[in-house]
This record gives sequence, C-alpha cells and structure tokens, in this order.
Amino acid sequence: MIEKAVREFIHEGLAAHIGTRNARLEPNGTRLTAVRVEDDGRHVVAYIPTVASGLVLQDLRDNGQAAIAIARPVDDRACQVKGEFVESWDATGDERAFVLQQWQGFLNQLDMVGLPSAASINWAAWPCVAVRIRVTALFDQTPGPKAGAPLS
Amino acid sequence: MSLGLEALAPCFQGIIPAMLFTCARDGTPNTAYLSHVDYVDPTHVALSFQFFNKSRRNIAENPHALVHVLDPDTAQGWALRLRFVRSETTGAVFERMALRIEAIASYTGQKGIFKLLAADIYEVTVVSPITSEGAVADGAPLRHERRTQPDAVFTMKALQDLSLRINAADCMEGLLDSILEGLDEFFGFNHSMILLAGEEPGTLVTIATRGYDEQGVGAEARIGEGIIGLVAEAQKPIRISGLLRGMLYAYAAKVRAEESGWCSRERRIPMPGLANPASQLGVPLMVRGELVGVLCIESELPYRFHEEDKQSIELLGSYLAIAIQNTQLREQSESASETAAAVSVPAADRGKAQAIPRREVTYYRGEEHIFVDGEYLIRSLPARILWKLLALRESEGREEFTNRELRLDKSLNLPDFRDNLETRLLLLRRRLDQKQPDIRLVPRARGRFGLELGCEVTLIEKP
Repeated sequence: MIEKAVREFIHEGLAAHIGTRNARLEPNGTRLTAVRVEDDGRHVVAYIPTVASGLVLQDLRDNGQAAIAIARPVDDRACQVKGEFVESWDATGDERAFVLQQWQGFLNQLDMVGLPSAASINWAAWPCVAVRIRVTALFDQTPGPKAGAPLS
Repeated sequence: MSLGLEALAPCFQGIIPAMLFTCARDGTPNTAYLSHVDYVDPTHVALSFQFFNKSRRNIAENPHALVHVLDPDTAQGWALRLRFVRSETTGAVFERMALRIEAIASYTGQKGIFKLLAADIYEVTVVSPITSEGAVADGAPLRHERRTQPDAVFTMKALQDLSLRINAADCMEGLLDSILEGLDEFFGFNHSMILLAGEEPGTLVTIATRGYDEQGVGAEARIGEGIIGLVAEAQKPIRISGLLRGMLYAYAAKVRAEESGWCSRERRIPMPGLANPASQLGVPLMVRGELVGVLCIESELPYRFHEEDKQSIELLGSYLAIAIQNTQLREQSESASETAAAVSVPAADRGKAQAIPRREVTYYRGEEHIFVDGEYLIRSLPARILWKLLALRESEGREEFTNRELRLDKSLNLPDFRDNLETRLLLLRRRLDQKQPDIRLVPRARGRFGLELGCEVTLIEKP
C-alpha cells in the first residue's frame, strides 16, 4: 500500500519509467508521462505515451508483471512500485490536464538541475494509454546502501 | 555489422542518468536509474556497479538487460539491448569509470564510500532509437542526426596557435600566462588554472589562474582529493561532463550512507574555481613519468569536453609539461650562472614613513607561516624567502636581491636538485600582488629582483 507521503511525492510530477518483460524474460520499458496513485493506495495508473506503449502493453497483457520507477531529479529521491496489470484504456480528455500537469512538473525538475532543455522538447507526452496496476510491493530506490529496502 | 555505438559517444558522458531494466529469474521486472553507462568498444558498454541492489541480483540470474540512454546533443533517446558478459575490477575501463566516480565522491566528502565496486561489461545486441524520445509527437519522421553538433574544441589550428603563443614566452610567468590566455583565446576555455607540485610531498600549489573573481594563487590541493588531486594521483586526465548531476546522485547516496552510519558528517572539500561547474577537465602535466603539475579547466556548460578530444587533451598536457619543465630548468640554470653580486641599495627614504601605513609582519617559525596584520599570507618556502628578504632589508638596508644568493643560502633549505626557486618566487610575488600589494617583488633583470615596500614594516618572529 502506498502511504500519503509517498503518494504526494509521486504526484509532484517526476521522472517515471515502467519496466516489463516478455515470455523469454527479456526486459522492456519506457518513460511515463504521469503516474496517479488511487485513493486506496493499492492501485496506480501509469500513463504511457501511446507511441511508446507497444511492447510494454503486449508484455502486460501477456504476463501482467510491472515495475514502475519514480525519481525526483533535484535530489535523486526515488521509489519503485512493483505490481500486476489490471486493465488499460486510452487516456481520456478528462485525464489530460492531470497528466500534462505532471509532465510539466518533470520538465521543471529538468530545468532545476540544469539539464539541457532540448532534452525534452520533442518527447512524446500525449496521447497516452492508461495502465492500471495493482500494487504488490513498494521499495526505496534512492541511491545508497538502503536502495531496495521495502518502503511499507 | 556495426551497431553504430561509436556515434552514441555523447550518450555516455553521464549528463543524464540512464534507465536500466532487468528481470529476475521468477519473472519479476525491475526498473532502476543508473549513474553511468560507459562506451567500451563498438559492441560493448560498461555499467557502473556501486551498490549491491536488485538490478545486480537480477543480472546474476538472468543476463538480459535493457538500458535507455539520452544523447544530450540531439535529445534523442536510445534503447540498448544488453547481455551481461563479465564484471571487471581492474583494467582501463574500470579505472576510467572509477576515477570519475571518485572525483565526484571527493566533492561530497565520500571518497572511499561512494565508489565503483565493478565495471559490468555487457554485449550490446541491438541499438534502436526510442520513438517517444526525440520523435515529434504528431508522428513526423524521427530526427536521428544530431540536432546541434558540438563545436570542435581541440582543433589543429587552436593547438598550433597555442603553441606559437607559448613559444614566445621568455620566462615562467610569461609562459603560464600564455598558456591560460591561449586556452581562453583559442579554445574558449574561460576558467582555468595551473597547479605545480608543491614543496611538501603530496601537495600541489596554484600558480596561475584565469577567469575567477578570486585569483587563488597559493591555494593548495592535496593529491587524491578533488578532481585536481585525483588527476595528480592517477596521472591520467579526468573529464567530467555531468558534474552537477553526478554530484546530486552522489549527495543522495551520501545522505543515505550517513543515515546508515556508513560515513561521518564531515565538511565538503571546498570546490576550486567556479562555485557550480557543470564540466571539469583535469590534465596531468607529465614529463618522462614525472608529475610537473595539473591543468584544470572548468565550464558552466554541462557538456564542454568531448570524448573525441581525449587524445588531444593528453597531447596538450605533455606539451605544456615539457614547456613548463624546460622553463624551470632554464631559469634555474641562468640564475645559477649569474655571477653579479647583489647590489646593496639603501632602503627607501625613511622620511616617507610618516605618510605611509605600517604593517605588522609575523613569521611563525615552527609552522613556517607568515601573517600580515593578522591575516594569513603564505607558508613554507615562499614564507621563508619573504622573511629572509624582509630581515635583510631591515638589517642591511638592501632592497635588491638575486636568485643565486637565495639558492646558495643554506638557511632557506632548498633541495639540491631542481629546487624550483623561480616558481616559488613567482608564487610569492603573485600572492603578494593579490593579498598585500604594499609589499612587492619586482623583477629587475634575469635572476635579479627588488623588494619594494609601500609601507613600513614591523617584523615579529614567533616560535
């Protein structure tokens, strides 16, 4: 379960990626535009740019295993959500504002750490496929000796 | 068939963290940020292994990995499909990666804690552009070519121009200034400094700087600390492109290490030069295996020094080292052959003392430190020299001296071979110009200089 403090952290608009794997245990992965933690703290919705969703969606439908990493570039605080695929849908217009607000938060983070602004301008952020994941584990992933420790 | 990995060199500068995707034997995927991916050869890369984590355990069980890197020049993301081959804890790749991480660690007080445990070598099986990173969102064609080619820095023309400038220098001071001016004018490096081997083993002393508010002449770096100290220790160039990113990553690890009791809360080593450099380049100045000094160049741009510049940087370091050592030896030789006795010139008209300030110069004999009006000025050999000169001026009324008489003065305790006296005098002169312009060392002829005072001095010697 994702507690309130971690939920607020995730909702800041940070760097986020989802990792999956195929039947041959070969990993696939892509950047996320946004991540929303549902109120119950037991599910998250990952927003994958549609153009990048092919292999990841295929894996999720095939075996359901997912790992979502979320990191804040300014201090490298990070966590990883492990979970199982529940359902997916094309993100709707109602979700667009939330998704792009998080994306803007991520771009702001890049500016704050002085990364070249060109590094984001042509990245696909919308439209997205929304993927609902049931949370099975949550881990600390901030670099250092505690990386990998359970968060809750 | 070539994967085209060579063309992705900018992705391997560590400017933007990479993303590593792995999978456990039981099928559980893992997604983790990675501080550094390094180019090994056209079909291999190395990933930094710094902490025992889930990614590392997964790789031990299942060698397949996927890494995402980003080209800082084009904003194009690239996916590299990998297969783990081996871990290296020695060798060129390991040492290159370890040096970079160690340099960053030293800035966050974590040397020996935030370190490279191994360079994990992976075979790259597929390289492909990431459609969502670099692509135009409306489905327009991808732009795989570089959007902005970085300017070539170490061009043959720039090296030639610098060489001509250096060849025109006729003394150490002129040479050092020519080097830094040339780096600025011909290469566009606005912030640079040269440190030469210090009197004490394990130290380097700043002798010339350019582009900083504080000149910092006399500032010391200890071998093994910071980028300059590490360059001196490893005797290899260190190039850091994503310094800010690297330090943030290291600092995050430091906080966690402190929480775990892995390291103490010690002060950071003060950053030399720019407060927040985005790129740093340290070049060892080596002649026949001997470290003469270190050239350090900084930039506020995150990707100022490029992979393709490596050989030119090493060549430049060798050339500068030879030029500096030749000048040192020539000045020493000329000074030794100087036969004219020091001229006894009466000290300045005492009547002027009424109108000029009085400085209290204190020499701490035990520590060999000189303070002026309570402020630290200099230590070691330059301090001994200044004290000697001031004492002679007071006792004998002299204000002109020769390098030769200093060299023959046993009380100064100069080394018998290659004493670098001229370099120490230059250091002392620049330090005085910077901190105490009332006391000046003024060159008057080759191997001869004057001690000119714009103040009265009171000399105090303490144990």
